Amino acid sequence: MNEEMAWVIQAQQGNDEAFTNLVEAYQKHVYNLCYRMLGEPESAEDAAQETFLRAFQHLHRYDRKRPFATWLLSIAAHYCIDRLRRRKFSTASIDQDEDEGGFELPDADAPNPETEVVHTEQREQMQYLLKRLDSVDRAAIIMRYWNDCSEVEIAEALNLTVSAVKSRLHRARRALAGLWQAETPRPKPERRPNESPAF
Amino acid sequence: MNHRPFEDWLIDDQPLTSEQKRELQSHLRLCTSCSAIAESNLALHTAHMVSPLPGFTDRFKTRLAHRRSDQRWRQIVGTLVLVLGGLGLLYWLAGPIIQEALNSPAEWITTAISYFLFVLTSLQALGEAGAILLRVVPNFVTLTGLFIILTMVSGIGFLFIISIWRINRVPQGV
Repeated sequence: MNEEMAWVIQAQQGNDEAFTNLVEAYQKHVYNLCYRMLGEPESAEDAAQETFLRAFQHLHRYDRKRPFATWLLSIAAHYCIDRLRRRKFSTASIDQDEDEGGFELPDADAPNPETEVVHTEQREQMQYLLKRLDSVDRAAIIMRYWNDCSEVEIAEALNLTVSAVKSRLHRARRALAGLWQAETPRPKPERRPNESPAF
Repeated sequence: MNHRPFEDWLIDDQPLTSEQKRELQSHLRLCTSCSAIAESNLALHTAHMVSPLPGFTDRFKTRLAHRRSDQRWRQIVGTLVLVLGGLGLLYWLAGPIIQEALNSPAEWITTAISYFLFVLTSLQALGEAGAILLRVVPNFVTLTGLFIILTMVSGIGFLFIISIWRINRVPQGV
């Protein structure tokens, strides 16, 4: 039995410290999913905390045959999807709030600051584009690319069939590429002197 | 321009041979649409995890303590409301009867005995009716009919048990 499963069993028997170890181990994964889903640090913190509270309260329902991470991410994804659906019906201006999200700074210790700045811009651009996807597609993309979940795990977490996950991922990737092309300014290649206009 | 199969290679993250990689590279030099897919691919694959602010676990512990305290209070208030409501309802329903019983105990005892006798005689009558039915029914219903009825009853019972089991099945994911 691995350490994680031991913590789960202890937590199921009412050991708070064991559950705290699980929070420590998975906080980054859950927070990242919530942040990528909701786009704001405050909402992400709240959603991640709520995810762990729900997991703690319903720990007796956890099926030990499934990976704990998938179960936890499933709770987080469903919570964020519900929250996004509720947001749609709220009267407040969401777009303005959402644009304030994204606080990633370039890594100062990176070997090449210019490359790092370009990568940071690309990540911010990706975060902006993620918001334009349907909430379930967004959850699938985040679980696939940030949490390295397999299609089977995504299907289990989002209550979808594996073929539905495949088609959602394909559709979302195509949509992201389309949005990327539309939103990213592309410099036109400059013609060098004496170069043929065909190039 | 024909984007197949390059689009699918990129979108589905298919593993490519060196020959396919070369073909893809030369296609990407000419095709802005597929370049966009490749760029978005790169952005997705280089995406990093965002960490919460330090002290997340401590904040969780605080929140858990608050949630538990809230739940305890809710339980106490709920129990109080239930007990007081129940007592009020009981007083409202049984108050006049108790009052009457206290005023004339003889009448109350007589009523109770007659009610008890009524229940007893009703049960006896039902038992006799059942016995008569059991004697008479086999004369009208054949063995096959009885078998069909019993099968139907057990089928309905089976359906009922399955439905209860399905309703009570523990769902995964909260």
